[in-house]
Parts: sequence; C-alpha cells; structure tokens
Amino acid sequence: MQRNKTYNRKKILLIFAAILLVLLFLGGRLVYLMIFCSEYYGQKAETLHERERDIKAARGKIIDATGTVLATNRTVCTISVIHSQLEDQEKVIEVLCRELGLSEETVRKRVEKVSAIERVKSNVDKETGDKIRSYNLAGVKVDEDYKRYYPYDSLASKVLGFTGGDNQGIIGLEVKYEEYLKGTNGKILTLTDARGVEIENAGERRAEPIDGNNLHISLDYNIQMYAQQAATKVMEAKEADSVSVIVMNPQNGEIMAMVNVPEFNLNDPFTLNTVSGPEEGTEGTEDPAGETEGQEAGETAAMTEEKKQELLNQMWRNQCINDTYEPGSTFKIITASAAMEQKVVSLNDSFYCPGYKMVEDRRIRCHKIAGHGAEDFTQGIMNSCNPVFIELGLRLGIDNMYQYFSQFGLLSKTHIDLPGEAATIMHKKENMGQVELATVSFGQSFQITPIQLATTVSSLINGGNRITPHFGVAIKDNQGNLVEELQYETQEGIVSSETSETLRMLLEKVVSEGSGKRAYIEGFSIGGKTATSQTLPRSAHRYISSFVGFSPAEDPQVLALVIINNPQGVYYGGTIAAPVVQEIFSNILPYLGIERTVQPETMEEEGA
Amino acid sequence: MKEKRVRYFDYSLLFIVIFLVCFGLMMLYSTSSYNGQLKFHDAAYYLKKQLFATSLGLLAMFIVSKIDYHVWKSFWLLAYIAGFGMCVLVLLVADEKKGSKRWLEIGGMSFQPSELAKLAIIIFLAVIISKMPAKMGKLSTIVKVVGMTLPMVGIVAVENLSTAIIILGIAIALIFVASPKYMQFIVLGGVVVSVGAVFILTASYRMERLKIWLEPEKHEKGYQTLQGLYAIGSGGLFGKGLGASMQKLGFVPEAQNDMIFSIICEELGLFGAICVILMFLLLIWRFMVIANNAQDLYGALIVTGIMAHISIQVILNIAVVTNSIPNTGISLPFISYGGTSVLFLLSEMGLALSVSRGIRFDMEE
Repeated sequence: MQRNKTYNRKKILLIFAAILLVLLFLGGRLVYLMIFCSEYYGQKAETLHERERDIKAARGKIIDATGTVLATNRTVCTISVIHSQLEDQEKVIEVLCRELGLSEETVRKRVEKVSAIERVKSNVDKETGDKIRSYNLAGVKVDEDYKRYYPYDSLASKVLGFTGGDNQGIIGLEVKYEEYLKGTNGKILTLTDARGVEIENAGERRAEPIDGNNLHISLDYNIQMYAQQAATKVMEAKEADSVSVIVMNPQNGEIMAMVNVPEFNLNDPFTLNTVSGPEEGTEGTEDPAGETEGQEAGETAAMTEEKKQELLNQMWRNQCINDTYEPGSTFKIITASAAMEQKVVSLNDSFYCPGYKMVEDRRIRCHKIAGHGAEDFTQGIMNSCNPVFIELGLRLGIDNMYQYFSQFGLLSKTHIDLPGEAATIMHKKENMGQVELATVSFGQSFQITPIQLATTVSSLINGGNRITPHFGVAIKDNQGNLVEELQYETQEGIVSSETSETLRMLLEKVVSEGSGKRAYIEGFSIGGKTATSQTLPRSAHRYISSFVGFSPAEDPQVLALVIINNPQGVYYGGTIAAPVVQEIFSNILPYLGIERTVQPETMEEEGA
Repeated sequence: MKEKRVRYFDYSLLFIVIFLVCFGLMMLYSTSSYNGQLKFHDAAYYLKKQLFATSLGLLAMFIVSKIDYHVWKSFWLLAYIAGFGMCVLVLLVADEKKGSKRWLEIGGMSFQPSELAKLAIIIFLAVIISKMPAKMGKLSTIVKVVGMTLPMVGIVAVENLSTAIIILGIAIALIFVASPKYMQFIVLGGVVVSVGAVFILTASYRMERLKIWLEPEKHEKGYQTLQGLYAIGSGGLFGKGLGASMQKLGFVPEAQNDMIFSIICEELGLFGAICVILMFLLLIWRFMVIANNAQDLYGALIVTGIMAHISIQVILNIAVVTNSIPNTGISLPFISYGGTSVLFLLSEMGLALSVSRGIRFDMEE
C-alpha cells in the first residue's frame, strides 16, 4: 500500500492555499459589487421592477352663479383582459358579450389575443363595470376612470368648452382654467415581475391624487337659458346664420350669459351640428380681410378629414370673442362719448342732415336717404344720423379719435378669461385720412369683437370705469372652501362721470323715443343703441343687425348685446335685434330684482 | 495494529455537508417557487424533485461512507467505461433540451451522465496514479495519464464544455499532487493557457462571450450576466431578506440553476454570501485535512479529486455570477437545482467520509 508522502501533503496544502486565495479574491469582488456598486445596480434593478401607474384626479366642476353644476365628471370603466391570468376563457367571453353588448366575435378576438393587456371596451357605465367586477373573473380587469360630463349638453357650449382624451381642456373655460381644474394625478408605484404582472402585497407606494378645484363662474343658468331661447327664436325666424348674445354686469364685468347659436353638444363635440342649413359655419364675411371661404358645407358626403376639422373648428368658435365685425351704429356711443369728453359738442348743438355728407371728395350717405333735416345732437343720436357723427368725428380729428380709441381700451384686448380673443382691426394712424375718420365715426371700416363693444359700452355707461369682462369669480375646493378669489383689473376714469351720465340719458332717449324703441319695456328705464351693418364685400348684401341695451338707464345693472348675423328679409337692428333684447330683459329684469320705476312720460308707439 | 486504531469519523465534514444541503434546499425553494408556479402551477415543483434526489443522495452517502473505499479500486476500469459509455449514449439517444443533449431519460427520471463522468474520473485517476507513484515525476507518465483522461474530456466537451474543463482540472490537480515536481506544471499550465487562448480566439462566439464579459451592459446577450449583477448589487450589506428577491421573478432566467448565487446575494446580502463562501471554504478545508491524513495515497487522491471538483465548481460558479470571468454554465454544488449533481456530490461526500474513517491517530502525527 502506497503511503501518503510529505510532498503530497505539501502539494495538497498548496492547492488549498490557491483555492483560499481565489475565494478571497471572489470575496473581494463581492464586497466591491455589493457595497460600492450596490447603489448603481440596485437603482437599475429597481427601475426594472417598478411600474408607475397614474391615479387620475377628478377634474374640478364648473358651477354657475346659481350653484348649478354646468360641467362635472362621470365615472366610466375600462374593461380589459390580461391574457396570462385568464382561467376560464369561455366564461369570460360569455360574460363580456352579455354585459357589454358586443358581438361574440369581437370579444373572442380580444380575449384570445396573446398580449400583456388587451382593452376590450372603454367608456363603460359604472354600473356595468361594477357588475362585471362582481363576477370576479380571473384575468378581467375593470379600471375606473373619470369622463367629463356636461349635464345641459349644449348650454353655453362655446363658453364652457370641452376636454380631450386626457381630460385636458381643449377650448373655452376648460382650457383657460386648466391649471385650477385639472388637479394633480396620483401615482401608484407597484413592483412587477419580468412579465409585467404586478406583485401583490409588495408594499406599493402610493401618492394620492389631488382633485381639481371647482370653478365658480358668473354665468347664470337661467339668464343663459332665456338668452339662448330668445337667440334661437330670432335665428329661426330670420333664417340668420348665427345669433350671439352677451349679457353682462356693466359695473364689474361679470358675464351672466354668452350665447352663440347654433351651439353644439358638449358631450359629443366632434359631431358637426350642420342641421340648420347648408351655409352653416361660413362666417368668412366677418373675417378681417373680408375673404369669402368656399361654401362647400353642402358636400358633406365627400368631406375630407381636413375639411371636417376645419368645420369643427368653425363650429367651436365663440363668435363673441374669436371673431371681429364692423360694429356699425352701436359704435356711435363711443364717438359721442369721445366728442362729449373732448367738449366738441354739446347737447344743444344743431346739425342739418340732407341725407349725406361730403368728406373731401366723397359723398357719405345717411341711412335715411331723404335726410333727417335739422336736428340737435340728442335727436342726432336718437335718429342714429350718420352725418351728425361724421361731423363729430371731423371735429375730434384723427389724433383725438385715436387717443380716445386708446383711452377707451379699444386698441387692446379686453382680456376676458376665454382663450383666443381677437384683436381690434383698426387703420394705422398714419394711413388714416378724413374719409377713414368719417367712416370710423359711425362704426365702419374697422372691426372689433362683440365682447369689446359690450365691454367698452359698459365702461362708458358705468361712470367711466374700464372693466375686464369675465366669467371666473372664485376657485373653491370640493368642500366649498375658498381657494382663490379671482381678481380683475379696473381702469378708472376713462371718461368723466358727467359724460357717462349724459350718455346714459341720451341712450335712454334712444330707447324711449328713438330708433331703439322696440326694446322698450313698460315700467323699466332702458338705454340702448341699434346698429345695422353691412358685411364685406358690400356686394353680397349680407347684414349684421345688432342692439346693445342696458337697464336701469340711470344706474345700469345689466347690459345686453345681441348680434344677428345675416338675417333674411328685414335686417334693421332697431326692428329685429332690439325686440330680442326686449324679450331677454322682460324675463331677466324681474329675475335680477330690478324694480319697475314709474315713468313720468309714456311714449306712444310710432310707426316703424 | 488494528487494535490500536481509534475509529475516526469526520463529523465536521458531515455537519457542513448537511448544512449546505439544507441551505441549498431552502434557497432552491426560494428561487424556484416563482418558476415552478408559472410553469407547473406548483411552487414546490423543483423543491420536490430536488428533495427526492437529495434523499437518494443522502442514502448513497450513508452507504458509501460505510463501505471501505478500497473496494472501488477494482472498479477503476468499469467506472471509466461506464462514464464514457454513458456520455456516448447521451449523444446518441438523448432529446435536445434547451439546445443541448445532456440528459438521459431513465424510468421517468432524467440523468446527467457528465456528473457520473466526474466521479468516474476521480476514482479512475486515483487508482491509476496510486499504482505508480514513483513514476509520477516523469513527464512521460504525466503525458500518459493526461492522455488517458483526454477521451473522457473530449466526449463530455461535445455537449458540455464546462464539465469537461472541470474534469481536466480534477485530472491536473491529481497529477500535481502525485508528482514531486513543480516545473513541469508551470510548463503544463503555460500550455493549457495558450491552448485555451487559441481555442477562444478561433471561435467567434467565444470572442463574443469575451466582449459580453467585459461590457455586459452594451450587449443584448449580456442580459443574464447583467441581471445577476443587478441581483447582487441590490442585495447590499444584509440583503432584502429571505424570499424577498425581485430578480428571481423572471428577471434572472432560471434563477434556481447556475445563477442561484446571485439570488443568495440579493436575499441575504454580502453577509450571507460571504457565509456561503466560508461554508465552502470549511468544506474544502476538511477535504484537505482528510486528504493529508488519509491512510494511503489512494485515499488522499480520492479526496483531493473531490476537493478539486468542489472547489473548481464553486470558484467558477461564483466567478461567473460576479462576472469575474466570461459566462459559462457551471452549477453551485449542493445549492443549484440538479438531481444528478446532488446525487453524485453526496456520493462523493460518502467517499470522503469513508476515507476519513481510515484515518488512524497512531500514525505519523
């Protein structure tokens, strides 16, 4: 038997020593990896394991002045299947078919598809979602989600706006107050295995969502309804393209109603509302350049995507804010204010209207071809006599006219809290001659937005404070706690209070005795001004009839502007627009608590 | 002489082995339950199979430790032929599993002949060398012995290069211990290294492995290595706790196999990993003690072979998992999943214990 020799032992020891050395090295390597590289690799591993899932925050509501909720959320469910977790495929298919009302073929395709997660149906009612959840089917996932919901469908559609797929505001107040409404999404950090399946009880980290705050607006559901009804009525009666109504508080700029009929359904904003006529949505004549867009709306069958998008954008336009027009005679309020402020006219100044006025080599007609004859300034306003206002404009001169444009805020935007406000389109001062000055004086050859007109008139009649028109009043949380009171700028003294007072008196006369008498309501003192303007190109013979009225004339609490776009038949503002204001006022003045005052003089109706 | 013999039995070795086996089963369950649930809807699927093989192995260890190891002397040729034959057989009849033919199906159980080959080569060489200790100094003898080993290495290398390397390593260790010289081995080492280098450089896929080794994050195929490193790195000092590994959830593919050490690192931290290495070191130390005190050269060589086998596997495995060397598939003894492996490892332990019984205190020291 061979003995174990010393050199054998030595070599065994040597091998052991070598092993020890190598193992020591590996131990060192482990120390390096697990202490010095720990953070690096650990971080990388963590990002590999973690899945971040958003918990949607509920979007804030939009609530009107009466507390009526105009925009809220509805819980909807998304039903999906996780293929790898399915146990009883046939049962899943059967249940989903029945509950979702989908064809078996559709459901089978989704269920049998081998994918990480397959969406079967989204925007499912909460009840249906709950019912499916109660089946406790393995591999079927019911996720709840919020969807924006507008309880009154088309009410103030162009004001409220709607939200897109990610619940983000797209137009209107929804986009303007996005920051307040959207809230902060929460997050769930979960751990998943390599297949992406969440691990239960893995100690998920959660950041709770913070719901959006509620937006309280000055819009009044009832006034909006009255205004919308009146607008729809006149639009149908006069076969007009569109009718816009603004009802606001001239003292502080709070807008109580803003109607642009035809409105669209906010719960279905991507469907065109082209039921009221083939020429729907062709507001091209109001465009500054006076361009006439192709009126191809009739060819809806062959409508391209691009064309449809264009029509949708057209449908979503808020004409009160996004479009400009020639204000026409309503602008005489501004010219009169400027002239009175500059003291180039007094109430007793006498004028003579032969039916036209020569400015340089141009003969500018009055709307009354026979002429108004001899009249004083008060009568000039009541008659809405163009030569009188041309005379005022010429007395003011270009510099002063420009100065008052600027002073009254007409050259800047109103800064209303709605997106896309159009700017005033006005002659450059250096390009303005006497003819331009003359036409500007009675509201032609330049363009402003309806909200600009309403705001400027409000500011002139409220004692001279240029107010900022607005909807947003306050931001409150869901418990009703005030988060932020919205503040708006007021510029005081754009006209003297004397001028403002005289103006109110003059405009009251327009309604009680002059061209605006169709806005008159027994027992109320109402001021106002009519306008009839022709759109560009003049050859198209398209008109815009408008009327701006306010009440009580002595201390205006409410102002309404009605604009009827392209009415058929009689198109005089005093004839068709003033009655709309009259109808709205007769409804809302009592509602607003404005009391009837005993009028000392009762006007007899005169022939139109 | 026999009357004077104090019966010795290496309980320390037995204890370490049992500890490692139990620890291995625990880690195996921890790492395999996810895969078991996923593939076989039974979290304990792998554990059950391993438990069966382990029981068989413990029984084999017990029996082998009772048998005088000299009995195996007469089986040297049979062992070689059986090992070689099985390896040939596996190439001929086996179905491919995961792209290689490594398993023989015997009565519903799979059997990996390369594991047998390792044990066979240990006995074969121990017998051969112990027959001609005096000639071991000669280069010709060394060449002869290596030459006898090469067919086995070759046949195993066809499908399982890593095991072939282990077999070659065992052979070199035995020859080294038996030979009184050193110089030859430095030369031999040089030859092996240069042949190995040529071997690697001639095949493009091996070059690729080398590149993956150097920059695992830049190669798509470095996925496994990288996932192992993520697991090790996220372990930190004390680990995430037993069972709390994230990487075993499909990130480290087949976590219960060769990469199991990375999950040990993740769950038990640096502390646990060092403890495991220390346990192996203790095991190897016991082998050294037994080999040094063995009754005869034959016994010493058997234990040296076992020591070489275990240490090469432990070193290569941990080196691969820590990306210290390029990736090659070597399992961690007693811990990685593999029935044949644990069965033969425990048989080897029986053999070592049997050798330890032969130690006589009245001799030499």
